[in-house]
Amino acid sequence: MKLVKKIALILLVAFVGIQFIPTKHNQSNIVQASDFMVVYNIPEQIETQLKVSCYDCHSNNTEYPWYNKIQPAAWIMEGHIKKGKEELNFNEFGDYSIRRQKSKLKSIISQIRDDEMPISSYAFMHGDAKLSESKKLELENWLTNLRDSL
Amino acid sequence: MRIITGVLAIALATLTVVSCKDNAKEHDNEDGHHTEMKNDNPDMNHNNSDGHNDKDNDSSFNTGDIDASIQKNPATTPIIDAYILIKNGLVADSKNDAANGGKALLIAFSNFDMSKLSGETNKEYMEIYENAKEQAEHIVKSPIDHQREHFEILSTDIIDLIALIGTEKTLYKDFCPMANNNKGAYWLSEVKEIKNPYFGAKMMKCGSIKKQIN
Repeated sequence: MKLVKKIALILLVAFVGIQFIPTKHNQSNIVQASDFMVVYNIPEQIETQLKVSCYDCHSNNTEYPWYNKIQPAAWIMEGHIKKGKEELNFNEFGDYSIRRQKSKLKSIISQIRDDEMPISSYAFMHGDAKLSESKKLELENWLTNLRDSL
Repeated sequence: MRIITGVLAIALATLTVVSCKDNAKEHDNEDGHHTEMKNDNPDMNHNNSDGHNDKDNDSSFNTGDIDASIQKNPATTPIIDAYILIKNGLVADSKNDAANGGKALLIAFSNFDMSKLSGETNKEYMEIYENAKEQAEHIVKSPIDHQREHFEILSTDIIDLIALIGTEKTLYKDFCPMANNNKGAYWLSEVKEIKNPYFGAKMMKCGSIKKQIN
């Protein structure tokens, strides 16, 4: 029993200890001129869906859930956001060359079609971010039309 | 003691949730769907002698003229050779060969001397380079169905690169109407015989030569 107590205490100290390690917050109130929503005229339901399903990791502004206050959840989220923004940042979409925008759109479409985005762990924690088949189709069609118009 | 146990339980629960997340993600990656397979419809009307569709595609294809009058420029040879490595990897359904071709392409681009390019050409080259580099990076690390999607974008880049600064290699610009979700896609080949990189063994002969370069 003593040993169990000791291990529990060590774990407790470690768990409390990591709470004090800060993470970088991905938040900004500036709407950039290069933002996807600014550059292109987007129907409201598409805009809302993109914001809910994509913008948390693919823009400079994340709507953090409550568990972001707890480590190590915050770290994992920080990693996802960093990687997500490297791959695609909707706030900077207008700064990409047209060639690059077309490639990005193609990748966005295929990631949505193949259920690879939004990633399942994110969709699991954010029910409203999950895309139904009809929402997927709606996004796919709209994004394909945009791509063909560029 | 009760409190300690409680906190411990929370800590463990957090860790469990976390590891579940990671597992789910990994599973997601391995379990990549095959976009091409979904559209692999054997009843598809696919007739190479029917030039109508292909012509439509050709005119919408934003490359400018590629023909025998293209500039004779040896500077692009390492880039094209690496592209051909990727292409042949995909023809052979080999993810690893395609990935190695992707690595070779990144090296070829980094060795390319762009100091000789003038203003406007330089700007266009940079756009092509940035896009192609990204595709190559994904080809290095992706499963084969994704490699093929990125290869389709890359092919446009390499075709545009050749239109921009030329090549001295003899190449064939091929077109497969069933690739790219039946929208059709081009690729460049060093051999006259059709060997389809978008489908590999599943539809090796699908496609036709649209143009010859040099």
